[in-house]
Amino acid sequence: MKKSKHIQLLLITAVLASCNRPGKQPDWQSGNKTYIRSDSTAPYTTVHHYYHGGGIGNALLWYYAFRPYGHYYNGYYQRAGYYSDAIHESSNIGSNTFKSTVIRGGFGRGFSVSS
Amino acid sequence: MERIRINARNHWQQAVEQLGFGFHTTNVPYWDETAYYEFTMDEVLYIEKATAELWDLCLGAVQHVMDNNLYSRFSIPEAFIPYIERTWTEDHPSIYGRFDFCYKNNQLKMLEFNADTPTSLYEAGIVQWFWLQDFDKGKDQFNSIHEKLIAYWKYLQAYLHPGTLHFTCLKETLEDLTNTEYLRDCAIQAGLETKLVFIDDIGWDTEVQVFRDRENQPLQNIFKLYPWEWLINDEFGAHILTDRNRTFWIEPSWKMILSNKAILPILWELYPDCPYLLPAYFEEGKLLNYVKKPILSREGANITMVRNNTTVQQTAGDYGAEGFIYQELFSLPEFGGNYPLIGSWVIGQEPAGMGIREASSLITDNLSRFVPHLIK
Repeated sequence: MKKSKHIQLLLITAVLASCNRPGKQPDWQSGNKTYIRSDSTAPYTTVHHYYHGGGIGNALLWYYAFRPYGHYYNGYYQRAGYYSDAIHESSNIGSNTFKSTVIRGGFGRGFSVSS
Repeated sequence: MERIRINARNHWQQAVEQLGFGFHTTNVPYWDETAYYEFTMDEVLYIEKATAELWDLCLGAVQHVMDNNLYSRFSIPEAFIPYIERTWTEDHPSIYGRFDFCYKNNQLKMLEFNADTPTSLYEAGIVQWFWLQDFDKGKDQFNSIHEKLIAYWKYLQAYLHPGTLHFTCLKETLEDLTNTEYLRDCAIQAGLETKLVFIDDIGWDTEVQVFRDRENQPLQNIFKLYPWEWLINDEFGAHILTDRNRTFWIEPSWKMILSNKAILPILWELYPDCPYLLPAYFEEGKLLNYVKKPILSREGANITMVRNNTTVQQTAGDYGAEGFIYQELFSLPEFGGNYPLIGSWVIGQEPAGMGIREASSLITDNLSRFVPHLIK
């Protein structure tokens, strides 16, 4: 019934175990303000923070703090800048035209597909 | 099949968390190792045989739905029919599915087929196997899920578009992420280049007419733990039909037919002599004892159980707008107030193992517990 006695997991234990750790309470409430932008064509704004109650929310917020964006040209990836969910829209978009051809948020509903 | 009560391992929470299994407890325990189910080898072979035969019947039923244009029964939008048929005739890659069985008095009956977005894969493939290593290493389990996933990803590699295989699920749900990342783990071990993108982060390039990930890499192949009935009704759903990359979505869209409970009356109409099927109908009034199920629903929502024309149990929910089917009542066996449901996995085209979810009532809902098993 069992084909092999040895099971190896490359990815999942480390990634998901880290998601399951209780999140450190954010320092954002300390009163210090951080001004930030993700695109050199965009103005700086103060960082706003959304807190999802610990666990996965925090881990993913950390992971996705700054995601690079870019495009493929002749088979090569060219990085053009960064996005972040944690900063104001005006500091994300700037005047970079490449970002405007890609729209997001058209998929996704519900809380879980569990079945 | 017997239910044996035992003591849970000391520090079992740590043991399962070390495996990356973080959703073992919500408001109530989900992973429950205070008991296990014991099966004889004959029973396991019977479940395995039924799984293989039902999978074949299901493929026949898909062809029947297409040949007879029965899509309206499934509430599938007309615009998607040519696409669904293309994914079927071109044999787009598919990796898995899970039959839900009721096993009682030496009879095995299929209650439904989770063909599109089955979960509890990690619990069945990994967590219960490591539990067995601690509990009784000398015993076996109906479980080759892990090996078959790696082997089938390896096989599928030749049929995918060149490049990355993306994996996607909803944000903020550890259960979905665990299942998705587990599948990705197996794909990596099979030698595939993979990448995770959350479903809400997928972008549509209005100029080039392709889907892109967060780094704007075009999508070519994507495994989705996200149901087709949501995908096609989302704002970007129609873009799947115009996508210039003709991205392979895994599971493929023809699974919309099998994951819909409208397949149950069709299977019964086609194969009334199959010992694993229960009588099922689109019309009310043909059965005295039955379960009324929405054709599209999740986690036991909007189910009504009727005996002698009297409702004996009912669950709430938001499903049912697309219609219902009526399936003969074959209630789950009871083991001291616990009602186990067998989830039997098909990986690739083969039976691959099972997981047992146990509820405190006859309807298996989102409060059910996962209980490990072994072979006697």
